[in-house]
Amino acid sequence: MAHATTREHGAGHVSMDPIAQSSAVHRPRAAHRLVVAAALLAAVVAPGVLDAYTISLATYALVLGLLASSAYVLTNVAGLPTLGQGAYLAIGGYTAAAISHTITTNGPAQLIAGAAAGAAAAAAIGVLAARTRGTTFLIITLAVGALTQTLASRAVPLTGGDAGLAVDPITVLPGASLVTVKGYLYLYALVCTVIIGGALTLMLRSRFGLAVRGIAANEPRARADGYPADTYLWVTYTVAGAVAGAAGAILVATRHTIAPVDGGFVVSGLALLAALLVTRTLVGALLGATVIVAVRDLIAPNVLAGHASALLGGLFLAAAFARILIRPLIHRSEHAPARRSP
Amino acid sequence: MAGQVIIALDGLAFGLLLYCVAAGLSLSLGVAGVFQLGHGAFYLAGTCLAWWLAEEGSWRGFSAALVVGAAAGAVAGGGLGDVLRHLREHLDQALATIGFGLILVDILTASYGAQPRAVEPPPGLGGSIGVLGRSYPTYRLIVIAVAAVLATVLYLVIERSRPGILVRAVAADPDYVAALGVQPRRVQVVVMAAGGALTVSAGVLGAPILGPSPGLDSTMLTLSLIVVVAGGLDSIRGALFAALAVGQIQTTAAVAWPSAAPFLLFAVLIAGLTWRTRRHANTVRVT
Repeated sequence: MAHATTREHGAGHVSMDPIAQSSAVHRPRAAHRLVVAAALLAAVVAPGVLDAYTISLATYALVLGLLASSAYVLTNVAGLPTLGQGAYLAIGGYTAAAISHTITTNGPAQLIAGAAAGAAAAAAIGVLAARTRGTTFLIITLAVGALTQTLASRAVPLTGGDAGLAVDPITVLPGASLVTVKGYLYLYALVCTVIIGGALTLMLRSRFGLAVRGIAANEPRARADGYPADTYLWVTYTVAGAVAGAAGAILVATRHTIAPVDGGFVVSGLALLAALLVTRTLVGALLGATVIVAVRDLIAPNVLAGHASALLGGLFLAAAFARILIRPLIHRSEHAPARRSP
Repeated sequence: MAGQVIIALDGLAFGLLLYCVAAGLSLSLGVAGVFQLGHGAFYLAGTCLAWWLAEEGSWRGFSAALVVGAAAGAVAGGGLGDVLRHLREHLDQALATIGFGLILVDILTASYGAQPRAVEPPPGLGGSIGVLGRSYPTYRLIVIAVAAVLATVLYLVIERSRPGILVRAVAADPDYVAALGVQPRRVQVVVMAAGGALTVSAGVLGAPILGPSPGLDSTMLTLSLIVVVAGGLDSIRGALFAALAVGQIQTTAAVAWPSAAPFLLFAVLIAGLTWRTRRHANTVRVT
């Protein structure tokens, strides 16, 4: 037993890592549950307390949070750091806008169409992207994001170019009236976020999710065990594309506009930052997005008016260096019980 | 026909400038192992320097911008390389350099006023020369010549000279170089400094063609990343071919069919990746 603990980082022991990680997923600590419950409660009562401007910010925080969830699934679960999820947000958003203009004002239908478009685009790109790892994957996703943004600003007949596209309000139930009140739109976004977040959580706890964690932790071992790593990661990339596409549809439904910059490099970067900022959990990604929107749109105008991006830059730097400052502490607390147990 | 040659010349000028920028990125990634996403901001800083010191076009201002730019780029690049060594994961380096880039671009944008600015070429280079019966801006031909010289020097230094061999050795196996008595870290910082100087100088050089404007930094970053990935993370020769191809796509294809350019860029990326994957399977899996 002591032998096993001293080989904590040995090659033979690495395959245990995903199981050690996933046990935290299977048995959420009471504190984690409390945070989730408190966040959900705060999110539900928010429209009764906050003013219209803050509510619209909270709505955008949910959109960015969903985008961050898709970045979380790729970066933290599948071990594929991404800087291009904004591309699928844009694809989902423009699809929802096109549906709104031509077929139906029904919000959920637009959401499904946006998610499907995001998934289809990610499935196509993923054939190439999901075969690469590490820095190459990061650069390819970044290029995909940037090229999608260029395409969106050039395809003027479809997207309205850089000026963006105005979209009609949505209906939620067939035959019901258009939803225009900010508080109701926020609740629509909240319900969608909870449903999608719940579905993602189930997926991550399934055998498939555990296998993806295993591939991220030790790919040669997972391959040797018979898991088709490229296929599993391709499916994960497609699912992340669907979530980002859904985020785009929610953005269009709640803000009634979409422009190429909504899926640009900075937004993709913010999604990655949100996924890494607070804790490395799905709820952490949503909280991270809330922190980022609060810093950019509530704190920056009061502290550094006109320099929100510099403040966000500081947040990026803090996240990068905090991770090396905090990592030794986390490392110690992870291994301390293992040393004591035998 | 003559019109196409003119556009192809534009593409050559842009491609060679892009090569200088991408070479800095390729060196920092391949040799120093530093993932530098603030590279586009460095280029923007170069164009801003040219706008500050030589907006109306003067030799003194332009050469001052080149000297100051190269020095500041070397200090910033070397400093960044030294700081980023402490972040061993590329993901952390990506976050840190995005943050650095955002802050730098924010400061630069405030200084040039967030609108496209034009920079005059130095006196005597502002006119045009007849090429195949059409007039062509002299300055662009100068840029082609200067960037071609820079590219050749860079190629010879990396591929043929003794310091270049050292640099490639650090990229291949830093521990072995350390065993030979050379500190790989010192080589890495020098390479980062050279990359920074090259990028800011390219910005100064390119400013009279494409002055400071919003989004220039992310455009240059994306294009040079595409060049680096398509050309190979550690191949200075592959980067040259990729940069020339991207330069042509950004001009020739953009004139012929504007919305096709993003697809063609992606095709270059895929072509470079698959070609290299077939040649040696391990290069794609860089972590």
